[in-house]
Amino acid sequence: MFSAHPSRPRLTVVKDAERSLAERALGHVDELYGLAAHLCSSTSDAEDLVQDTYERALAGASRFEQDTNLRAWLFRILRNCFIDQARRKKIVLEIPDDGLDTIAPDSWEADKLEQLRYLGASEVSAAIAALPIELRFVVLLDVEGFSEAETADILRCPAGTVKSRLSRAKARLRAVLKETR
Amino acid sequence: MSDEADRLIAAALRDHARPPAPPHLRRKLERRYLDGQRRRWLVPSLSALAGAAIAALVLLIVRPAPPPVVDARPAPAPVVDTAAEAVGDHLRVLGARGLGVETNNMHNVKPWFAGKLDFTPPLSFVGDDEFQLKGGDVAIFFGHKSAAFVYARRLHVISLFVFESSGTPSSERTIQGFHVLTWGTPGFGFALVSDVNWDDLRALQTRLQ
Repeated sequence: MFSAHPSRPRLTVVKDAERSLAERALGHVDELYGLAAHLCSSTSDAEDLVQDTYERALAGASRFEQDTNLRAWLFRILRNCFIDQARRKKIVLEIPDDGLDTIAPDSWEADKLEQLRYLGASEVSAAIAALPIELRFVVLLDVEGFSEAETADILRCPAGTVKSRLSRAKARLRAVLKETR
Repeated sequence: MSDEADRLIAAALRDHARPPAPPHLRRKLERRYLDGQRRRWLVPSLSALAGAAIAALVLLIVRPAPPPVVDARPAPAPVVDTAAEAVGDHLRVLGARGLGVETNNMHNVKPWFAGKLDFTPPLSFVGDDEFQLKGGDVAIFFGHKSAAFVYARRLHVISLFVFESSGTPSSERTIQGFHVLTWGTPGFGFALVSDVNWDDLRALQTRLQ
């Protein structure tokens, strides 16, 4: 690929390509931090997770395949970094069976529905924090606009698993937010 | 009712579940990965390292006393935040009572800019069923006049800003919940902003390019 510019030193071309990738990657810092903030117990941990993600991503820049989804690649790396941290800290990632994925659609009174229109950041954060880690991933990747197939690719699991986790996560969020206020 | 609850919860998540990165984290990452003095992943060849070592040794021998240590690294260049500027202008579009020209006919919109801008927006996409043109207006982008085109995707508003620029990098960012795509062509920069999903925004970008 780089041999198309024989007169240009190879290092300079690589430098340009890697700088370009770094610039593009840094364009996603808000999205990555948005996910990290809901996975970690403190803002400093979230910042460390994002920094680890960029460290790993840009150290392995040569492994990124051009014309593939940079954003999904970064989220996958963030997940891997988080799992490594979770193992070190012995954080439980499994989803306990609470039966919420089998419950029938619940009923909502009009005033409770109306309250959902006025949810604030603290209530939303608390509801997300009530989810097991794996459900937070599917919910937040859904919020970021990833399709079920893309989320499955990021999480390295079948699309059917993403679908069922999303359903469980929604049921849990409804259950938590119904009790809010 | 569960569906309605899910819809409202999803809207609340979009609005509140995406705290932006702290500015100091962004600056730290930019310094680490974009500052030319500290691009740590750029590994020079062994011969270059050897050459540098020899040169350093010669300098040490020639100079009896080392000069005082001065941090000669240039201050980081201010980051021209095109995406953030675009979001600000998109919010102004959303808050405006109307557009300068409101029509779904591009052949009426582009001539409207004549005399209002110093350039003709290089745009050929006239809108279609999925991305309906709503009109255009003049926006101020980094202190200069730019062309704003407004498209609708279902109930969502999409702003496209076209401005004179010698080098707008391609980027994808989310700021305050809005997705922003930027790219450049020789002489012009483009910024697309909306709360539509990434797939829709990229689909419009493809039509525009």
